[in-house]
Amino acid sequence: MRYLMTSKAGGQAPDERLYQEMGKFVEELTAAGVLLATGGLAPAGIRVSSVGDEITVTDGPFAEAKEAVAGFALVEVRSAEEALELTKRFRRIVGDGESVIQQVF
Amino acid sequence: MVDVHRTLDAAWKLEAARVVGALTRMVGDVGLAAELAQDALVAALEQWPRDGVPDNPGAWLTTVAKRRAVDHLRRAKRTVAAGEDEQAQEPDSGDDVLRLVFLACHPVLPTVQRVALTLKLVCGLTTEEIARAFLVDARTIADRVALAKRTLASRPPRAAGQLGSVREVIYLVFNEGYSATSGDDLLRPGLCLEALRLGRVLAELVPDDPEVHGLVALMELQASRSAARTGPGGEPVRLHEQNRGRWDQLLIRRGFTALLRARGSGPPGPYVLQAAIAACHAGARSAEETDWARIVSLYDALVHLVPTPVVRLNRAVAVGMAHGPEAGLALVDSLTDDLRDYHLHPGTRGDLLLRLGRHPEAAREFERAATLTDNAAERAFLRRRSTEAAAPVGRVLVDVADEFLARTDLDRSTLRSYAQTLARLRKAVGDRTPIAALTPQDIATMFTAAWSTASPKTWNRHRAAVRSFCSWSGIPDLTSTVERRKEVRNRAQAVELDRVWQLPDAPVRERLLWTLLHESGAPVRAVLDLDVEHLDLPGRRATGPISLRWRENAAHLLPQVLAGRTAGPLFLADRRPGPGRPPREGDLCPVTGRGRLSYERAEYLFKRATGLTLGALRH
Repeated sequence: MRYLMTSKAGGQAPDERLYQEMGKFVEELTAAGVLLATGGLAPAGIRVSSVGDEITVTDGPFAEAKEAVAGFALVEVRSAEEALELTKRFRRIVGDGESVIQQVF
Repeated sequence: MVDVHRTLDAAWKLEAARVVGALTRMVGDVGLAAELAQDALVAALEQWPRDGVPDNPGAWLTTVAKRRAVDHLRRAKRTVAAGEDEQAQEPDSGDDVLRLVFLACHPVLPTVQRVALTLKLVCGLTTEEIARAFLVDARTIADRVALAKRTLASRPPRAAGQLGSVREVIYLVFNEGYSATSGDDLLRPGLCLEALRLGRVLAELVPDDPEVHGLVALMELQASRSAARTGPGGEPVRLHEQNRGRWDQLLIRRGFTALLRARGSGPPGPYVLQAAIAACHAGARSAEETDWARIVSLYDALVHLVPTPVVRLNRAVAVGMAHGPEAGLALVDSLTDDLRDYHLHPGTRGDLLLRLGRHPEAAREFERAATLTDNAAERAFLRRRSTEAAAPVGRVLVDVADEFLARTDLDRSTLRSYAQTLARLRKAVGDRTPIAALTPQDIATMFTAAWSTASPKTWNRHRAAVRSFCSWSGIPDLTSTVERRKEVRNRAQAVELDRVWQLPDAPVRERLLWTLLHESGAPVRAVLDLDVEHLDLPGRRATGPISLRWRENAAHLLPQVLAGRTAGPLFLADRRPGPGRPPREGDLCPVTGRGRLSYERAEYLFKRATGLTLGALRH
């Protein structure tokens, strides 16, 4: 089963140590055949909404920088617990902040 | 939400290979390492529910297990330094994992033991999980694991050269998951995932082996189709009928990437070739666009390396697609002795026989295949195909119509006429309507809507076509509510015909066509289908597939139209065909490159010149 983990922008600015540890973590998960895709998201975005026949396009940013999703990881795991365990490891590396995991159908 | 047992299980599965690998290095025996790891799990089960799950469960398990190993070494009065060295310089855990994989897949072990040991030690599955995946009882798996450990303890493994054995185990696990050989589910995704992950790990650890990348590519590409290969009721969906939109593009991309990594020096091995075949399917936008010729050539290479009957059977399927069902059937038949009791043999034969229109034989083969398979979903599917083949009534309109029109026992003009009727029928009731569901009311509605203002002759022609279709496909006559119309010869038209012969500037081709129709009384299609080589000019008749006679007026015009041509269609279109619509070979003039004059065009020209239809000339 697949899970998508999205993370909001963390409190502290990334330093050299964080980059290194994250690099190692990503490498390890890729080697283990678990991490399928990962990436960061730019703070700016374009919102496209539709009501009836009308489509509205709005340029972002939209929320507090802290609330915006800043990165994602798509993992292939055996169970929800495994996804949770991986997310915990990720949080331990990046420090304060918040991630959400959702199963991908 | 946090369940201690499940958290422990997840943490263990993520760490198992590294922990057991490290312990094996420390204590030198995989059986003992597994026991020590088990001790750590037991300790976790005691402490975690009481003290809470540790912050880093994986690290906790690793530490506790290693501590047990050091304790053990101390008790065994072996050098205690081994444990302390351990702390000093942590060796690359990748090496531990690789050594463990090689050990678990050691060739001295029978295959079933290799599989059980690998899933248990490398993937961290429990005995019960393995037993469930392979549909045997837990006792059997426990015995296999125990036996394997004992064998390995008494026989220290060789260092290298067992990569082939590792690949074999991984692919076996994958296949057990992908094409489950027995049981009720067609797919056991858990096993596929284990194999995929194991393969990806191996590819990282042994990056220079093209076949490992080939294996990974093969598994990624096959796994990309898993969502599409079973229907809503769990029944198998064949490759050419799968909804390609449901193929997992992410896995396809990973598969192609792995295949690129597999490019090494030297000729490709079996896994790379199979992956390349899978890539041909993945790369085809639709089933029709599949490059079967390339697949056949890849199978040729594969048969060369792995000349097993099953590979040859797969090649026969590809040949059947590339060169027609007869060629495929000949190859399949040559494998009968080798593949006795293998359900895919009669299954493939049934497919090919069906394409050749040999329904009763196909039905028998599907029935045999159903008897031979152990998989319940597949058995049900084969039974259904057998029933359908026996009586095509369960099949959908478009398929039966295609087979009906592929008959070779009718002349072309009849088939063309039937095709018109069936095309209308398909539009009226829909391609996927089972022909058994057609009612006389459907047919009556179609006739009223499409042909109520047509001539009685046209009406009756379509009526005859439907009747013929019904009787051929074994359903009741559906034209019971469609009255045959009385055909009246139109005297007024006959009188008007005199006018035709006096048209001053009609081209010679048209005048010949009209004269021929009038003098021979033959159907328009038959006259348009005339080929030059079948004309007997002195005898004033056509021989060959269409036989008709003409009189002096046509005889006078013929040489002008022929203009020295000796082959090809008698009546040619005004222009060469466009590149988008290449005509049949027999419809092309070898001299001028022009195609055969079409019915529609001939009709149009006549109508424009006279206001009449060509049919009027026959009377």
